[in-house]
Amino acid sequence: MNALLSSIRYFAKKNGSFLIFLILAIIASIAVPNFFALDNFAIIIKQSAIPLIACIGMTLVLMTGGIDLSMGYIVGFASITSGLLAKIYQWPIPAVVLATFIVGIAFGSLNGFIIQFMKVPAFITTLGSGYIIYGLAQIVSQGSIVSRLPEGFLAIGRTEMLGLPSSVFIAAVVLLIFYIIINKGIFGRSLRAFGYNAKAAEVSGVPISKINVSVYIASGLLAALAGMLFTIRVNAAQPNMGGGNFNFEVITAAIVGGTSLFGGVGSITGTLFGVLSIKIIENCINLMGISYHLYMAVQGVIILIAIIFENVKNKAL
Amino acid sequence: MNAPLLQMKNITKFIYGTDGKPIKNSDVKILRSVNFELLAGEVHVLVGENGAGKSTLMKILGGLIPPDEGQIFLKGRAVEFHNARTARTNGIAFIHQELNLCSNLDIAHNIFLGREPTKHGFRDKETMYIKSKELLQSLSTDINPSTLVGRLSTAQQQIVEIAKALSYDSKIVIMDEPTASLTAREIAILFDLIRKMSSKGIGIIYISHRFEEFREIGDRLSVLRDGQYIGTLSMDEFKPDKVIQMMVGRTINEFFPSSHIPTDEVILRVIGLKLTSKTKPINIMVRKGEILGIGGLVGSGRTELAKSIFGIRDFEDGNVEYQGKNITRKKPYQLIDEGIAYLTEDRKQEGLISEMTIRENLTLSSLKKVSRVGLISPSREHETANRLTKELSIVARSIEQLVGTLSGGNQQRCVFGKWLNTDPKLLILDEPTRGIDINAKAEIHKIIDDIAASGVAVIMISSELPELIGMSDRIYIMRTGSVIAEVQKGPEMTQERIIEYICAGCP
Repeated sequence: MNALLSSIRYFAKKNGSFLIFLILAIIASIAVPNFFALDNFAIIIKQSAIPLIACIGMTLVLMTGGIDLSMGYIVGFASITSGLLAKIYQWPIPAVVLATFIVGIAFGSLNGFIIQFMKVPAFITTLGSGYIIYGLAQIVSQGSIVSRLPEGFLAIGRTEMLGLPSSVFIAAVVLLIFYIIINKGIFGRSLRAFGYNAKAAEVSGVPISKINVSVYIASGLLAALAGMLFTIRVNAAQPNMGGGNFNFEVITAAIVGGTSLFGGVGSITGTLFGVLSIKIIENCINLMGISYHLYMAVQGVIILIAIIFENVKNKAL
Repeated sequence: MNAPLLQMKNITKFIYGTDGKPIKNSDVKILRSVNFELLAGEVHVLVGENGAGKSTLMKILGGLIPPDEGQIFLKGRAVEFHNARTARTNGIAFIHQELNLCSNLDIAHNIFLGREPTKHGFRDKETMYIKSKELLQSLSTDINPSTLVGRLSTAQQQIVEIAKALSYDSKIVIMDEPTASLTAREIAILFDLIRKMSSKGIGIIYISHRFEEFREIGDRLSVLRDGQYIGTLSMDEFKPDKVIQMMVGRTINEFFPSSHIPTDEVILRVIGLKLTSKTKPINIMVRKGEILGIGGLVGSGRTELAKSIFGIRDFEDGNVEYQGKNITRKKPYQLIDEGIAYLTEDRKQEGLISEMTIRENLTLSSLKKVSRVGLISPSREHETANRLTKELSIVARSIEQLVGTLSGGNQQRCVFGKWLNTDPKLLILDEPTRGIDINAKAEIHKIIDDIAASGVAVIMISSELPELIGMSDRIYIMRTGSVIAEVQKGPEMTQERIIEYICAGCP
């Protein structure tokens, strides 16, 4: 009996986010009309794909014990840049994609550099850089929205395959790549060591500056990709896309996925189920016709509970 | 007859297990039935090697930790201190080596911290500053009490600590290595203050390693060794030789393995390395296949030197040459590739990642060896971890056990395993047997000897003289941030001689 209990506990610990996902899905299927339908599942997957890309970046940052609050604003900046370049300046599509990526990498490097070499806490650095990026996006766009984007550009994320848009498959590829890097790669091992104990990791020969800077670069790059795909999905480039609400959603998803806000702990599969879980919550709130603002309140509750749990757990040790 | 100001009787402190419970039946005790006596108006010097139990005894007196057995009497009255505050209200002031002042507050606020004088329920600043001024003047200093403590020199901060102690009406003042960072002139001022305090009937416990100061300031001297009270001398009887005899006492009866043979090939040279702007340059070298010991007190710069070589501490000036190559200020990951390894003194914080498994810790410094194109090969990693676990006889349920759950000895074996797998040519060991039980110690010594025998150059920092002498081919002695002596293996290499270097600076 005890052995059974402890193996259940072990399974729950290892696959907590999957269990949360499963429980939410079962409850929703029973309690929410119209939830259990193939069409609705497709909606949830479509809605999860793009946040998942960004959330993977956030997971990496959280695993170092840092945070990236500029993520949502990089999404907005990437949106307006890609839209402007594709429609107004009529750049070739590969050049637009490349430029968007460079924007993300540039902002990410800036964050990483300030955090690692000027020793400014990540929270402050990315809060500041986030608002800088937000301001820049407003200036670049001059407050306007660029809609009805070129077909070739839209094709990146809208091409239908197996009934799902290509953005879902892009997210799947990103998921696979980072799953391998984090779970099988030297980088992932070093990242975890760094997140648990930066000093011991440094002494053990983990190149901690490289790791710390590269997670913010990855975060910026993935945020830019997410921004571009969002733009394609809504067929409108706008500087207000993403923003603080998006940060919050992504951080909540990562936490539901089992990532610790204190560094070290985090997994890519966990993040997948974390995103799916909160998108189920959002979906149910939509289906039940409750105010969308409840979704934000629920996210706040989730973050607080997760932090309280973690504190209790740390004290118990 | 008047009872002495302070008596500490049969004070015992056990070592504690990982479960947080005292281990009462162990041979090892931090303090065993220590007796200590302090008279009013006396300056009582307390000496002993690192780990002899001085700090623990004083922490008990200061109410910071409770004794497991024994009693404290103040003027013949039994007292019990539950915390630092009750000790302080009983007239005991503890001036730590690392001063405990708030640098962002001014002197007066520091002196009256937490008990500011009040008037009608509001803080009475006026009285506070007047009183502070009086206190400072009674110590013959005219520093303005509204000066921020952060702007004061170490010596001035010490005066503030003394003023604070006096303001509590302290009867007993404990001073832990007060002269460690003072200049000769500042020391003279401090000694004046100490004499002033003792003339008021305050008893002073003076912890120090500096023999040259004892005769000048002390009235009596007590020696602790391995947690035991050895004896008390009056200053008329004071002779450095005699005190050293009391400090050393134990004979070397442990067996130290010695199968390694040093070569002539120099592998590392430290040239003119200055740890800080104030310390003298360090010039040392180590040869292939040699165990080079570094002795000295905690804080003498031993760990700082090791960290400077290994690129995790900034230093003032100088160069490090390794196999003829300049490696000054390179980062650990670059140095590890070159074949340098550093086992830190702080195993928990810097040596291992306790939340990760034995396997992950063992391969952390040599991940490239078990990987292809940046991806770790699970089979090769398991193979490596299993091999190292066997070679170093790490006792664990499996290689998937978290390192944090292992005993000290097994954790240290993991650190050795981690470094051995990097194929080091130079291994720096900082207190390699600290916190490890006796049997495991002997095995660690065997491991170190085997490593040297395989042609690795070993630098070993140790506070344990028998270990230092038993293992080393040569010993450098460090004092106040620089190397002051070199002792070769042979009849010269005795505990007495090394203690003399460590404490007195010269034999």
